Amino acid sequence: MKKLNRRNFMTLAGASGAALAVGAGNSEKALAGNVTFKNGGRDFSPVTGKERQAIPTACWQCVTRDAMIGYVEDGRLMKLEGHPSSIRTLGKLCAKGQAGVNQVYFPDRILYPMKRVGKRGEHKWQRVSWDEALDIVASKLKPLRDAGTPELFMYQYGRHKASQAATMYDFMAAYGTKTIGNHTSVCEAAKWVGQESLWGGMYDNWDYDKTDFVVNFGSNQFETHTNHIPTSQRLIRAMVDRGVPLYTFDVRLSNTAAKSTEWVPINPGYDGLVMLSMINVIMNEGLFKRDHFKFMRVTPDHHATTDQKIAAVKKQVAKFTPAFAEKRSGVAAAKIQEIARGFAKAKSACLVTYRGTVMHYHGADQERAAMLLAAITNNLDRPGGRVMGVGAGWKAPSTPAAKVHKGLHVKDGFKGEAAYPTHHVSHQVLPVIKDGFAGRPKVYWWSCYNPGFINGDNNEWQSILKDESIMPFLITSTITYDESSQYADLILPDTTYLERWDWEDMVSANQIAEFYIRQPLVKPLGEARCQGDVWPELAKRIGFELAWKDKKDFVRRSCEMTPGVKEAGGFDYMVKEGVWHDPNDKGNYGFYEKKVDVSGDGVILDAETGVYWNWKKAGVTSEAEAKKAGYLGTKGAKGAYVAQDIGGTAYLAYPPNTKFTKSGLLDFYSDNFKVKGLPPFPTYTPTPEHEAMADDEMIMTTYKVAVHSHSRTTHCKWLTEIKHDNPGWINSKTAAERGIKDGDKIKVHNKLGAITTTAYVTEGIVPGVIAISHHFGRQHSGIYGSGKSNPINGGASADPDAKNMTWKKHGVHPNAIIPNSSDPISGTQRWMDTVVRVAKA
Amino acid sequence: MAIPRNDTVEMATARANIYGLLADVFRGAPSEVFLSKLREPDFLGALRDMDLSLDGVFERTSQAQLVEDLALEFTRLFIGPGPHIAPNEALHVEARSGESNAYWGEQTVAVKKFIEAAGLTIDDSFGGMPDHLSAEFEFMQRLLLKEAEAWASEKDELATNILKIEKRFYDEHLSQWVGNFCVKVIDATEHPFYDQFAEVTKGFVDFEKDTLQDLIDETEGGNRLSA
Repeated sequence: MKKLNRRNFMTLAGASGAALAVGAGNSEKALAGNVTFKNGGRDFSPVTGKERQAIPTACWQCVTRDAMIGYVEDGRLMKLEGHPSSIRTLGKLCAKGQAGVNQVYFPDRILYPMKRVGKRGEHKWQRVSWDEALDIVASKLKPLRDAGTPELFMYQYGRHKASQAATMYDFMAAYGTKTIGNHTSVCEAAKWVGQESLWGGMYDNWDYDKTDFVVNFGSNQFETHTNHIPTSQRLIRAMVDRGVPLYTFDVRLSNTAAKSTEWVPINPGYDGLVMLSMINVIMNEGLFKRDHFKFMRVTPDHHATTDQKIAAVKKQVAKFTPAFAEKRSGVAAAKIQEIARGFAKAKSACLVTYRGTVMHYHGADQERAAMLLAAITNNLDRPGGRVMGVGAGWKAPSTPAAKVHKGLHVKDGFKGEAAYPTHHVSHQVLPVIKDGFAGRPKVYWWSCYNPGFINGDNNEWQSILKDESIMPFLITSTITYDESSQYADLILPDTTYLERWDWEDMVSANQIAEFYIRQPLVKPLGEARCQGDVWPELAKRIGFELAWKDKKDFVRRSCEMTPGVKEAGGFDYMVKEGVWHDPNDKGNYGFYEKKVDVSGDGVILDAETGVYWNWKKAGVTSEAEAKKAGYLGTKGAKGAYVAQDIGGTAYLAYPPNTKFTKSGLLDFYSDNFKVKGLPPFPTYTPTPEHEAMADDEMIMTTYKVAVHSHSRTTHCKWLTEIKHDNPGWINSKTAAERGIKDGDKIKVHNKLGAITTTAYVTEGIVPGVIAISHHFGRQHSGIYGSGKSNPINGGASADPDAKNMTWKKHGVHPNAIIPNSSDPISGTQRWMDTVVRVAKA
Repeated sequence: MAIPRNDTVEMATARANIYGLLADVFRGAPSEVFLSKLREPDFLGALRDMDLSLDGVFERTSQAQLVEDLALEFTRLFIGPGPHIAPNEALHVEARSGESNAYWGEQTVAVKKFIEAAGLTIDDSFGGMPDHLSAEFEFMQRLLLKEAEAWASEKDELATNILKIEKRFYDEHLSQWVGNFCVKVIDATEHPFYDQFAEVTKGFVDFEKDTLQDLIDETEGGNRLSA
């Protein structure tokens, strides 16, 4: 082009003025106010002192959700630190939490609503306004609601907790859909189901502050625990200050195992067997404590004496001798005996389990074995033991549910797949929808979730998302373009957690509930909007009203409604301080020992179970009818539970507050399991695929590293710089048998396909197993996440750090060859049971 | 030599017009009405004077299709998802503190303060950040309109001071990144519309470098404004 001179400049300016009068179709302007200068602009200076603020808020990088402080300077988030007044975190924040800054400012972030204009997966998008986006959404949802089929709208979430979940559920109920999917079956469902069948709707915690002995099965406590910062520092402190021993059973020498008193290598799938073997030792050597047996049920008889129960437990575990366990688990019998004795003799002891234990065939039963081990040593809900988690009980505004409120049965897997999917079978949602036996949603909306990456056989999930004939309209709320959003029809830019309001309620590590909030540290970038702000507006467009006007309003009113928080100063107090707990709370232990008055109107004693229940609250018409049907024979009885008669005393015991109908006793003998053909007492059940393995086959397990969540952190450069590759851990003996040397390229394959990675040959894993972490091998997620160079400048490639990347590898995704296969008890995804072959590539 | 007062008003207004137009171009995809205005002889002629042309843009497709195509290209180039060229200064300039480029970088803060020091704020409805190209251009437009108003009402000191403020903003911000940004757009775009407007933008920002200094020299160099 010719250089501009004053002549052609003036021509251009004249034409520009005429066009400008029309406007480019954007009525919005960037700036507000009037140009004004003090002193006629003589001493104009835009440079002033920096404005710094310290704002209490809460993390969301993982489910631990630590309270923290954000430091904001001139409107920019500079740094995140732990909240010094938090009784959960004690002022600590992990690496993931500190890298939350990257979540806000990574250059590839999605900041504007976009609608698809090409084919699904063709990556062709058009920016639209929020007005247009919400009009589109309403045009899809309103007809379904008006036609009395709200269930054809399905919402599925990954990380939704506390008020983020509460606001979403409130909208969905008012809209009328119960077709709401979660992600729990890929996370921990078997653990929950195992516990619920015993002591109710619980989330166990470990009282490290008071414990004397810790045995850990399959939990990477010091790197990635679900309540990491609150619990890990307490366990380390117990070990260092009080000399508490920690024994870690794991197939892999995790950093937790490395920091333990002893790493006990164990073959995958045998945690429950080793626990049963420990019980065998403890029972046979008389090391058990009688105290908790009165709260246990171990035979069909609810009224068995403690001696009868002791005899029954001995009988049940008789065959699980240490020698028997050694043959299968690879753990030496003498080691099992040593740890069993130490555990039983300790004044108090914690039994820890997590994914290594439960993400297996019959994982829920292995969790039941863990509970039995804790119970016979009187370490359930006692100081220093495996205790019942305590979280904040917020009150919140709610909207009445719609008159038509129903759901599609697409959440619990295929028929007969799981006996008690109380936390659903999330990894089968799309396969079930594809099958169609339970119907198909017409609109599928996912949020804070990357289903095409995090589920097993994830390529199949992507193919279902891509197929427009299965689900005609897909919506996602996201901050980053990923393996799933590439197939959406509408992308809504979500706020990061550092730009929104919430109240939070994660479990405390010290048995005292902590109430805390999340507040925006900075204004949302671009046009990102919090879903909690979107729901009320969307409701209006569809034709109903929510009881709150936006997320801030929801949080504010919750603060004013919640006892304790309200008296402390309510919303204003929480905004200023961020956290609150009752200073007079001494910690919650032994609730089951509470004695209950059973003299109330309608309360009767059920002879068979020893349960006191209020027949007037059980949906029966008379006392006679209630007595005739009995507690277990009355459908609404568990909701009418009052107490458990134990030796003539009415105890609160363990109320049946979940889908399991049971007495107030710990149901180690479970009628619920028996009627479904499952083992009524904890036992060892071989994994069918493992029993059928050929000699050259191996088991593949997965794990998390300390600095990443499953799918929501690889665009955080500080974290990906630390960890960006995932070689396959393989034992030196196993590697040698296959001619594999450290650093060799290896192919890991099975009937689903093949992946290629690098061999990490080590003694730090048991023979016959390959372990590959599950964060990497991203298709998208920006240059840090996927390693793909941008075809044009801009985005992440505009970031000079992208040019300084010292690493070339970006890992591989093992989920591509992990089938979606459920624990038949809980429906949990069996991440740790995959059979593969491994060869030099 | 005395500068006619009308010239100073006209010059400021003319520069304001171009900044305003370019602010609109980079704020969002163009509307059909706006495109109609651009295809009028005056505008096409002005481009031809610079050896640029939008003829191919308007000839090869219908107006409705063009709106659709430009909406896609605008999204692909400047919004994403995936690789794109976000029109934000902080992503294209090496920060003085050595910190890496990211949204809401130190340049964003500097622009925000600059805007606020001039009595303006970022409008709540604006979906960009203060260092978005359209915000920076609109800021210059607003300064220039104020300058023109000052010249017209014979507040010469104010007008001259505003001119210096424009130059400072140009030196500290626009000159630091807009040229390179336009080169990236020219390399990446698949549509002549953005190719040509990136050329115009680059050319105008180059033009401003000399023009701003000349204007300051003219008003400060003993030249007296004539009626």
